[in-house]
Amino acid sequence: MDALLQFVFSGLTVGAVYALVALGFTIIYNASDVVNFAQGEFVMLGGMITWFGHDAGLPLMLAAALAIAVTTAVGVALNKFAIEPARGAPVVSLIIITIGASILIRGATQLIFDKQIHRYPAFTGENPIEVMGATILPQSLWVIGGAVAVFVALWLFFSRTLMGKAVLATANNRLAAQLVGINTNWVMTLSFGLSAAIGALAGVLVTPITLISYDVGVALALKGFAGAMLGGMGNPKGALVGGLALGLLEALTAGYLSSQYKDAVAFIVILAVLFVMPQGLFGKTSADRV
Amino acid sequence: MLTVEGLKSCYGRIEVLHGVDLEVAEGEIVTVVGANGAGKTTLLRCLSGIQPVSGGRVIFRGAPLTAAAHGRAALGLTQSPEGRQIFTNLSVEENLRLGAYSRSSRGVRSDMAESYAMFPILEEKRHLPAGGLSGGQQQMLAIARALMARPSCLLLDEPSMGLAPLLTKQIFDTLKTLRDRGMTILLVEQNARAALGLADRAYVMETGQVIISGMARNLLTDPRIRDAYLGT
Repeated sequence: MDALLQFVFSGLTVGAVYALVALGFTIIYNASDVVNFAQGEFVMLGGMITWFGHDAGLPLMLAAALAIAVTTAVGVALNKFAIEPARGAPVVSLIIITIGASILIRGATQLIFDKQIHRYPAFTGENPIEVMGATILPQSLWVIGGAVAVFVALWLFFSRTLMGKAVLATANNRLAAQLVGINTNWVMTLSFGLSAAIGALAGVLVTPITLISYDVGVALALKGFAGAMLGGMGNPKGALVGGLALGLLEALTAGYLSSQYKDAVAFIVILAVLFVMPQGLFGKTSADRV
Repeated sequence: MLTVEGLKSCYGRIEVLHGVDLEVAEGEIVTVVGANGAGKTTLLRCLSGIQPVSGGRVIFRGAPLTAAAHGRAALGLTQSPEGRQIFTNLSVEENLRLGAYSRSSRGVRSDMAESYAMFPILEEKRHLPAGGLSGGQQQMLAIARALMARPSCLLLDEPSMGLAPLLTKQIFDTLKTLRDRGMTILLVEQNARAALGLADRAYVMETGQVIISGMARNLLTDPRIRDAYLGT
């Protein structure tokens, strides 16, 4: 029982990071139908820049804020200089552009910073908290709390605000969105900036636990993508549940079976779910009439 | 209200509008009729800014119209596009709310109530995804959404496309009601008989140019029109 709870704690922590990556996917996908494979690099940048700032003597919170701001600017630039000029190209081409951007960001980080593995101190101490025989790091609570807070904010944004509806409308029908007065280029800028900020936040929160280096982005992007697919692409609730479920699956497999099989089991479960429910757990079936 | 002077437009290197002149005065319904490919839709796309103009100019309410497409609704020029182009994944009510995106949110509730009074079926289905509506209902939604912007001039592209005659009549009756309330409408239609029956004035387009223009009721009996477009 203690062991189970321990696995659940570590699964939720990792899952919360996957959920944050998946939420980042959700925003850009909602605005443009593009799956942004540079999403994992945003997480990496968040951690690396915070480490760099903190190492240079900045207070941790200031370094974190700086990291989020810089990563947001990178996201906006990615849209401005790589996605916007290719507007009108098929979605697949745009996705390939994001893969290229991911390689570029990784290379640039390696040159500007270094190839070492880094960490900085946890926000509120390193002493594990004991809960019913298992322990959880205070930093894990920050990660899980961050994922839940971002989810709630996004859910309110998409379901309650006119700006959120404008993002959905732009993805659904770009032409009609322009005709009702939505500046669709601005919506794209907003979504890339927002996703980059969320990715960076994930990196900032998780680095004290998992450490950071220039090359962690690819794996995170794949896991976040898998989480988003499991939950249903485009749905914030799906991203949260899918990401957490993926983290739990991995932790439980690693705990009870072998850590060598954790990726395999996770992906087998995802394939099985998608086989029965191709739209994912919360995905909408398309209801278009022609 | 709206003046078009020598408007030219190209798709790639092929010019499809060869200098179109057209005038819409306040409070009138003007229709542009013509066969498929005559350039009617291109003309409207130029007016709403989603199709680049390569020559000539458009004057709207006394000033040259140069705003980007997304800025034109705020000026009072809204288009209900060909093929409805509603937001299929959003609910009927969200579609209407987004119609008022470019203006202040004051009065949106009462305007929405007015849309529902005009098209009761939309109120019944207001929380359903708009993609599930029938073709006629989608057309009603497209018109209602355009009206939510409180336009001073409404551009309508093929509102009768793919609709049964009874529904077409219902849509045209709505347009009549709008005109009686003082709305200015530029209507592009392939259903020439219905359009000429409704409009005050009309332009006939062929291969990218206006070939005939005049009072709509005169064109209805014009032998050239009857042979080519009314088929009687």
